[in-house]
Amino acid sequence: MRCIYCDKQMKKITLSSLFLERDLLCIECRKMLKVKRQCFLIEDLKVESFYEYDGIFKSLLLQYKECCDEALKDVFLYSLKDYIRIRYAGYRILFVPSSVEKRRMRGFDHLELIFEDVRLPRIKGLQMKEDLIQEGKNAGERSRMKDNYFYEGEELNRVLIVDDVVTTGSSMLGVYRAIRGRARHVRALSLANKKQYFSF
Amino acid sequence: MYEKPMECKRCGNRDPAYFYKGHKGYYCRKCVRFSRILLEEEILPLDYEIAEGSEEYSFDYRLTDQQLEASRKCVEGLKYADVLLYCVCGAGKTEIAVASISEYLSRGLKVAYAISRREVVIELTKRFEKIFSNARVTGVYGGHHDELTGDLIVCTCHQLFRYYQTFDLLILDEADAFPLKGNETLMNISVNACKGRVLYSTATVDDTLRKVMKRRPYRTVELYVRPSFKPLAVPGIFYLPKYAGLFVLYVLLRKTEGQCIIFTTSKKDCEVFYRIFSRFFSCTYVYADLPERKQHIEDFRDKKYRFIFATTVLERGITIKNVSVIILNFAKIFDQSNLIQMLGRVGRGTDSLKGDAYVISDHFDPDIRETLKYLKKANSYL
Repeated sequence: MRCIYCDKQMKKITLSSLFLERDLLCIECRKMLKVKRQCFLIEDLKVESFYEYDGIFKSLLLQYKECCDEALKDVFLYSLKDYIRIRYAGYRILFVPSSVEKRRMRGFDHLELIFEDVRLPRIKGLQMKEDLIQEGKNAGERSRMKDNYFYEGEELNRVLIVDDVVTTGSSMLGVYRAIRGRARHVRALSLANKKQYFSF
Repeated sequence: MYEKPMECKRCGNRDPAYFYKGHKGYYCRKCVRFSRILLEEEILPLDYEIAEGSEEYSFDYRLTDQQLEASRKCVEGLKYADVLLYCVCGAGKTEIAVASISEYLSRGLKVAYAISRREVVIELTKRFEKIFSNARVTGVYGGHHDELTGDLIVCTCHQLFRYYQTFDLLILDEADAFPLKGNETLMNISVNACKGRVLYSTATVDDTLRKVMKRRPYRTVELYVRPSFKPLAVPGIFYLPKYAGLFVLYVLLRKTEGQCIIFTTSKKDCEVFYRIFSRFFSCTYVYADLPERKQHIEDFRDKKYRFIFATTVLERGITIKNVSVIILNFAKIFDQSNLIQMLGRVGRGTDSLKGDAYVISDHFDPDIRETLKYLKKANSYL
């Protein structure tokens, strides 16, 4: 078996592979993928993030999202799936929607694939007013995302908003604002955050 | 029932372990970093027209008889097969290829010139604009790929995936260098960008290149004489332990006049030796990941510093007058092509006269012996 990222031959059996689930990355790559658990606030929304947004995480996410390499879907939440399921038990997952054009180009929804094995119920009904692409835009243009979402559906109890990277926080905030009146508890989860927020 | 094995059209991969079934169908994971290509997908070649009269070219200087002879041989050879242009460093490979480019452009066929590094592409685009004054020369490199068409295309090897089966003549310059060295995927992508002939121009031939070339017939054009008619620098060799080697380096640096490039095997060595020797001499250092690397090279060119410690970043495409070269071979990293390219920095250009070469090695290395053989053979043609 070869490492999915650096293409090096891996050892057939390691101690961790006997007891834990099989990792697709080799040990060196997994070490380089730096874990930095952070909790921070966007207005009054509590957000939790797992990785540092630099180096190998950046190139992995780029390969997954832009080059449409679906094989990388299990890399990001390795050994975190159970944690999310237990920590957010009782919550229902709400994905931040990506633009229709991008989804058609990829052929899959990137967030749904990553969280495929996390056994929590999902919410549908969140939509974008305008089909905007955020990639390569500055903070001013990104702030348009704040009022770009609307929600049509049932009353909700506990909601977990899920996104891949928090850059300025506008899209996360947009979803939060759309859903705030209809839900009791809202928390958020992102794989990584670019900006240094004040963490608690 | 026999099924045809899966094969990626672009990179030629046949290993079934690298095919992954996604939502849209199977795709090749070996070349997915360029862009995803589905197995059933049809890739269209880029179509554009060549303007008339773009084939005229002129040089500011005269080519030597040997160069003219070699360029005539290239044009002749490309009619029948691929050509391997096998020249010593600083023999003027670009100038030799110009005649073939002009010949193809005059027939209205598409030509591309691919080279490994981005900086070299920018430099070459300007040079070709001067040589082909009527043609529209397009440079394509990372971060600059909005415009993909033109009369003559100069690009990095990594951008060749945008042109599937497009070119009638592809010139692969320094086909043995990083990133093509040992990277069969990129090599296949490069060769698949061309539906006609390929002109490989290089100073050394490595295994990957030989493997790729063997698939089709090719002719070899050899040129062992530089335009300055000066022999290649044959290095003095010291087999010494590491710290004795550093002492010898100190003595050599005291002795040399003019500037000197000192090649090291690793980034760490580069930085450590810089720290030691910056106490005695005015020197600087450079390696590929260094953010200020451009500034350091510029400073060295402007003669602000006498010595520069470098890794293999400086081994190609740099011409400095009267420069000496010292290679610190303290790990088994450099192979024959590296050594030849590094020693080829000495005595480049037409009026560069002085320059010594030394190799300090702490282990016996058969590559050094092979390099010496090659240099002596090349010098015997003078």
